[in-house]
Amino acid sequence: MLDFLADKHAPLCGGSHLKRREFLQVGALGAVGLSLPQLLAAKQKGAVSKDRENRSCIMIFNLGGPSHVDLWDMKPDAAREVRGPFKPIRTKSPDIDISEILPRHAQIADKFSLVRSVHHSGAAVHDAGWQILQTGRRFTGGIQTPHAGAVVSYLRGRKTDLPPFVVLPELMGRGGGNLPNGQAGGFLGKAHDPFALMADPSKKNFKVPDLLPPDQIGAGRLERRRKMRDIVEQTFTDFEASEDARLMDDNFQAAYRMMTSEQARSAFDLAKEPQKVRERYGMNRFGQCCLLARRLVESGVRFVTINTFLTVFDETTWDIHGSKPFTSITGMRDIVAPMYDQAYSALIEDLFQRGLLDDTMVTCLSEFGRTPKVNPAGGRDHWPQCFTVSFAGGGVQGGRVIGASDPIGGFPAERPVEPADIVATIFHSLGIDHEGHLPGPSGRPFPLVDVGRHPIQELFA
Amino acid sequence: MNRWMNMNYLIRLFCLRWAVLLGVSILTAQANESLQLLPDQIHLKGEEAFQRLMVVSKQDGIARGEVKVQSWKSSNGSVALVDSEGILRARRDGKAIITAITDQGEASINVTVSDQDQLEEWSFDRHILPVMAKAGCNQGACHGALAGKGGFRLSLRGYDPESDHYNITREALGRRIEMMAPERSLMLTKPTMAVQHKGGKRLDPHSRNYRILSEWIAQGAIPPQKDEARLKRVEVLPAHSILRKGDKQRLIVRAHYGDGRVEDVTDWAKFTSVNERVAGVDENTGTIDVTGHGEGAVSVWFSSQVVIARVTSPYENDLPESEFAKQPLRNFIDQINLDQMKQLRLLPSPRSGDAEFIRRVYLDVIGRLPVPDETKEFLSSTDTNKRDHLIDRLLSSEAFVDYWSYRWSDVFLVSSRSLRPKPLQSYYQWIRENVRKNTPWDEWVGEVLTAQGDSVERGETNFYALHQDPETMAENVSQAFLSLSINCAKCHNHPLEKWTNDQYYGFANLFARVRAKGWGGDARSGDGVRTLYVEERGDLIQPRTGKPQPPAPLDAEPLDVTEASDRRIRLAEWVTSPENPYFTRSVVNRIWAAFFGLGLVEPVDDLRVSNPASNEALLEALSDFLIERNYDLKALMRVVLQSETYQRSSRVLPENREDSRYFSRYFPRRLMAEILQDAIASITDVANVYDQLVLTDGSREKTELYPQGTRALELFDASVSSYFLNTFGRNERAITCECERSNQPSMVQVLHLSNGDAVNDKLRNEKGRIKKLMDADLPTETMIDQAFLWCLCRYPTEQERASYLDIFEETEPNQLRTATEDLFWSLMTCREFLFQH
Repeated sequence: MLDFLADKHAPLCGGSHLKRREFLQVGALGAVGLSLPQLLAAKQKGAVSKDRENRSCIMIFNLGGPSHVDLWDMKPDAAREVRGPFKPIRTKSPDIDISEILPRHAQIADKFSLVRSVHHSGAAVHDAGWQILQTGRRFTGGIQTPHAGAVVSYLRGRKTDLPPFVVLPELMGRGGGNLPNGQAGGFLGKAHDPFALMADPSKKNFKVPDLLPPDQIGAGRLERRRKMRDIVEQTFTDFEASEDARLMDDNFQAAYRMMTSEQARSAFDLAKEPQKVRERYGMNRFGQCCLLARRLVESGVRFVTINTFLTVFDETTWDIHGSKPFTSITGMRDIVAPMYDQAYSALIEDLFQRGLLDDTMVTCLSEFGRTPKVNPAGGRDHWPQCFTVSFAGGGVQGGRVIGASDPIGGFPAERPVEPADIVATIFHSLGIDHEGHLPGPSGRPFPLVDVGRHPIQELFA
Repeated sequence: MNRWMNMNYLIRLFCLRWAVLLGVSILTAQANESLQLLPDQIHLKGEEAFQRLMVVSKQDGIARGEVKVQSWKSSNGSVALVDSEGILRARRDGKAIITAITDQGEASINVTVSDQDQLEEWSFDRHILPVMAKAGCNQGACHGALAGKGGFRLSLRGYDPESDHYNITREALGRRIEMMAPERSLMLTKPTMAVQHKGGKRLDPHSRNYRILSEWIAQGAIPPQKDEARLKRVEVLPAHSILRKGDKQRLIVRAHYGDGRVEDVTDWAKFTSVNERVAGVDENTGTIDVTGHGEGAVSVWFSSQVVIARVTSPYENDLPESEFAKQPLRNFIDQINLDQMKQLRLLPSPRSGDAEFIRRVYLDVIGRLPVPDETKEFLSSTDTNKRDHLIDRLLSSEAFVDYWSYRWSDVFLVSSRSLRPKPLQSYYQWIRENVRKNTPWDEWVGEVLTAQGDSVERGETNFYALHQDPETMAENVSQAFLSLSINCAKCHNHPLEKWTNDQYYGFANLFARVRAKGWGGDARSGDGVRTLYVEERGDLIQPRTGKPQPPAPLDAEPLDVTEASDRRIRLAEWVTSPENPYFTRSVVNRIWAAFFGLGLVEPVDDLRVSNPASNEALLEALSDFLIERNYDLKALMRVVLQSETYQRSSRVLPENREDSRYFSRYFPRRLMAEILQDAIASITDVANVYDQLVLTDGSREKTELYPQGTRALELFDASVSSYFLNTFGRNERAITCECERSNQPSMVQVLHLSNGDAVNDKLRNEKGRIKKLMDADLPTETMIDQAFLWCLCRYPTEQERASYLDIFEETEPNQLRTATEDLFWSLMTCREFLFQH
């Protein structure tokens, strides 16, 4: 609780701004017309536990919506049009069978657990699922709820010179539904938007764009520039009432801190990794993002989201409708699954070998699963009624299966799990009380997850 | 029945309520207070008729909150009576006066009761579907899902009554209804949990809704009737209230049918808050809870129609009337804005200074900064009308054509992602010509809608080449020119709006005969020279019915399906008609947003009924103005730019600090990506190079379309490769959506300005401005002044000048160049530069 940066502001009441520390005291003081109950303040105080302060989360977002029936919830006994072309194989966990196109997953199945009964009632369009899964809610009433990583950024602040919340390699692009994708700070303010890398770490000359000043600008000039800029910034103080302008200034502070930090530079430097390690992850964008995520978590980034793909258009993705311009089931078998299998297993093994897995939750989500029945084009279509999410590390016991789908993978048959439960599970792993509150729009207390939703306790202990 | 009248009625209703306010101070109008009983006209028809009543206090014609009723009186208790809950019920035919007694006085209404002896039957459309919608049976998460649920499928929120009736009465071996013993029907045993129901308990067996369903079954489960009176409009009361934070307000919802019957459907309506920051609403009961300050609204959905109830919640500023009386007024915009300021208790900021104004108006009208000579001349001019003269000069400049061609290209989706170079150029030239001629907006849009011919000779035909199927054409037309998203209605009735699935296919069918030789295939292949023509036959099939949906503009009478002429002519007439409120409001809101960085409606291109403007009266008045001026866009721009509202300072006052939507001051916003890049190039006198395109598949292609010195605003294609423009958020022009352009600041942008080549390389350039200024060997003071004029369009303050001089004095002579670079760097990265203000 005491690690909040005093210079960080949380937007309240559409204009008046309180420092976060002050926010916690508002309940007692009843200041600025916010009659925040003391109960809330008390809750806030216990909301973030100290012993899990060091935990981080890597969220792998499988854009497109992987086919649960073809990957991690196979139905070998179902009719041919349901079970599809792939066979299950045995794994290191007696409880988990997995698809033959994920052989390396089988080797580490004792490290991760599967929740096979996830479902949501949002529209079966990509963007709707993106926002629901990453924020735990569907946006309504003009309120954009924050990404789980933005909540962590808000509650915990930065740990080192690196930003607390990073998205690799870029923010999600178009999903066709024209809806916000949920990868932002939402009502917590743009100050909690993630830092997006905007580069492909598998490229030969990869570096974070513009992280370092050009050679001719040494420390002396950097300092002079800062002094000069401060002169004009002091004249025009009216910008403080504009959220965007305030944010621009915060960004300058944060950027200056990052570019002058040896630790930050080093964290992004993939060249420091042995070639063998890089190859183990796979010399492609997703593989190198997974490796970079590990380095960032090691250096104190609290939350990393990896977008497996950037959009569902013009890319070979999990979106296996079978017909063009989307991906075919063989495209998944030959391109997507091998890439994913290699990188995910490398990440889990690497975290484990370095002793980081206990403090790093890795969760793999998607906007939905896919239709139980194979369509006429030989693919499968969008299906939010039932799909699978995986968890590893961060206190999660591996090798388990939680919940179950019906015999064709169409609906949850046991222990239905909603997106809010998944977000609650992430918070729980990070030591954040999911029943706590955030300062919502107009300063109203806003529950971290909807009331009545809880962490999936069966994953822990 | 003309549906436009409906629409207009609603919109005019707002205005009427605003008009009442004109010139009357709400702060001193205690005398105009009165009590009113709602609704004010009641005719109870049939034995089931009832009406919920409430009393509100009114001031200047606007409701000020509900007043608690102590008791009710009926002048004739044998005709109609009010129960303790405030619900009026009929007893026998006749007339009565109902009076509410409150501690603030009494309020009465006349009530007519008729048809008490008529035997009534429940109607599937009017009663059964609303009951099911309210219980949630046909929502997306339940039986309304595309695949249904548990083997029972309903159309989403009842868009397809015929098949719903069939599924209820005929499917599942008819077990869903038991006419001889309704209580055994699955339709009743499931939702009451008499048998297991995965959806849980949705219906109370002692409720009115249960009784209605069971009586309908007993009456023979009558199907939807073709000749039944249709729902004409939905009414919500009170339609507008001024309330305070913490207040609660109930709503009454009434359905008006074609046969004159009015029913209280409050229990069956769905309520959603439009702006939770101002007012929340209980989804079930429709009770509003005022949670903040500003303009709030609740959207009310009943039977695929939407109305809104508005709530104004004034800020807590203590402002005497005299503060408003002394505000300058230039034109009608200021008057309407000031009315809102009064109502919301926000104090307008004072007029901007000349330096602030010249920078602002240059950026907004021609998309570039004034150069030092222009700034100096304007600041020193003693012409009392100099602002008006400047506005006129800018509106008629060539730079205006560059900037606005770029902005309209966003709307028309000019991009080589889908167009080859020649047609692309011709499409862009067509836009430029129209901007230069200031073609009236209705003519302009009419021309593109009815475009035919060769894609190089007739640039406008490329609008149809972007998306070559009728559905997407329809969606784009609706989004671009009406700011309406109809996409949801492609699969089912729009869940939040009035657009139905049939309307969608009727609208899309208007485009079914648009063809071009050579369409289809990969957009990257060939030279893109195509000829657009219109077939004489061919229809789009509505998949739900398997038949062509009669082609009809949204909300208008259908055309004859067999008619061979170009359907788009009728479409264009309808779209650009002044009777079509969306058309004018859409373009007005786009222009307003371009000048203020914020639309009257936000998001800018989302004119749903359930997304009201922050100032409806102003949007209406501006629309009327544009119609009166025959869609002369420059006339609209001029009146906006001349207004005091536009010319306000961005300075924050304690009494308007909380405002972020109502224009009490000018809201700073980050410069558009292209303007920023051009400004850096113009200050440093080093041009950008644009020589590569990024194609849809990520591959690159050389281009020679943009000679050395081309400005970002002269690019007519969003796929020109530019890290700067991507980082600062340009419009990708893939879909018609303002959401495609982002002006949000990010750390990546800051890193690029600080460390990237965008600024640094240009400062170091040996042919650029810095080098020239160094060569001129100016005194340091003059150099500082020059830098300020170039970057910030003003002179430095005494203090700024002194502080910079201090740093220069400490500088070694051989470091003067780098110090000058750093001077410019500091001015090009400060917020005063990066923001429009």
